[in-house]
Amino acid sequence: MGKSVKRFMIGIALVCTSIFLIGCGAGSTKTSGSGGDETSGKRKLVVGTDATYAPMEFMDEKGNIIGIDIDIVNAIAEAAGFEVEYKNYGWDPLFPAVDNGEVDFAVSSITITEEREKSFDFSDPYFVANQLILVPEDSDVESFDDLADKRVSVQISTTGHKVVQDLLGKTSSKIVAAETMPLAITEMVNGNADASVGDNAVIIEYQTQNPNVKLKTVEDDSFEKEYYGLMVKKGNQEILDLLNDGIEKIKANGKLKEITDQDVE
Amino acid sequence: MEFLGLRIDMFESIWSYRELFIRGLWVTLALTAVGYIGGFLLGLAVGIGKLSKRKWIYYPAKIYVDFFRGTPLLVQILLIHTALIPSMFGHSLGFFVSGSVALMLNSAAYNAEIIRAGIQSLDKGQMEAARSLGMPHNTAMKLIILPQAFRRMIPPLGNELIALLKDSSLVTVIAATDLLYAGKVVAGANLRFWEPYLTVAILYLILTFICGRLITYVENRFSNSYVPSPRKMKRLAAGGRTR
Repeated sequence: MGKSVKRFMIGIALVCTSIFLIGCGAGSTKTSGSGGDETSGKRKLVVGTDATYAPMEFMDEKGNIIGIDIDIVNAIAEAAGFEVEYKNYGWDPLFPAVDNGEVDFAVSSITITEEREKSFDFSDPYFVANQLILVPEDSDVESFDDLADKRVSVQISTTGHKVVQDLLGKTSSKIVAAETMPLAITEMVNGNADASVGDNAVIIEYQTQNPNVKLKTVEDDSFEKEYYGLMVKKGNQEILDLLNDGIEKIKANGKLKEITDQDVE
Repeated sequence: MEFLGLRIDMFESIWSYRELFIRGLWVTLALTAVGYIGGFLLGLAVGIGKLSKRKWIYYPAKIYVDFFRGTPLLVQILLIHTALIPSMFGHSLGFFVSGSVALMLNSAAYNAEIIRAGIQSLDKGQMEAARSLGMPHNTAMKLIILPQAFRRMIPPLGNELIALLKDSSLVTVIAATDLLYAGKVVAGANLRFWEPYLTVAILYLILTFICGRLITYVENRFSNSYVPSPRKMKRLAAGGRTR
């Protein structure tokens, strides 16, 4: 037994050493996304996204990243005079990618929250979102508070997840947190949850795509309005100014309203 | 306080989610246990089926192994949870049923091959000798072949247990509240990935370490060179009748 404990300790030591080495490696191979494409004359920015969130950002049949968010960023880029290249990172890896400079900024229906602002900087808001409750057509849910004794499905780590955690408790077993919003809604349709909570755009998109699934949405005024922002590395004022300049321009010339059909601020 | 990019104060936040981690540990263990035991029994049937000379037994067993070994477990989990079970029962039966069924079916395919190989590794003479003593085929299988083959199957079956324990993390995708799920919730809440995922890794390491010890114990217990404790020797010498 003593021998195996010794071996285990050696194993732990090896793990720690490799973590240390990985840490060193990550520091020295730091890449900068904003190289600046000299041939086209315009600066090229690398944009990270999680393209699983139709209609805001998703992939078409050919694998191109498209959606409302992408249209907005294209308009911003045009107005502020830079080029963009989209890269699909997925939700979780997006945050470290911005943090270590792999991408210049991220667009992914990212709600500006106080907590996120501690670690990242955000552009001016460009989209207003609110949470919607999606329930089966015969459900008696009329407001958010009615969900207090129900099982609720959400997309993991989203603001919808957060508001439901505030209602049911952050380690509650009544929260069904699925990987994507469509999977979260499927959980509800298949009877694992009584309701789904998520951003309006995605829930309405689900309903239009699946008209034969009998669901209804419930609005609740108590949900705080949420603002989407473009996320940049903490302290990267240069990119932030560039983006805010673009947002201001497309707000002024009505382009933003044309894409989103809403007034922001 | 920071150490290699790790923030020690982050572990306080993880601690506040301890309920999720503890539930995650149990869910992971339960999924693995149900998946493994079910997978062993089903694998035994399929493995013996693959040894059959009767085509209507052999081919279904072969197709089964080919399918479950040839498709990703992640796809199987999604298929079973979002399509197969809802279409069979009209509604989902929860992540635990889908998750453990998927792990069980997948593990059975690998176990079937381990069991088939274990049985085939035995000398043909063992069966011939048993049959020439007048033992029926099934009895010979049960009393002569399987006990010997089982000893050879222990190491690969042990590997399968550890692999299954780790693969059970894939059920996070269907919102199963397993260990990885706890880590993901914390990572999402804090937008920090180092500390929560390291915590998850260490918890898995502890689980696999315990499993590893268990396998070594079973291996020693059934090995050829197994030496019983002096007390048990005495008992054995007395014909196993003393208490």
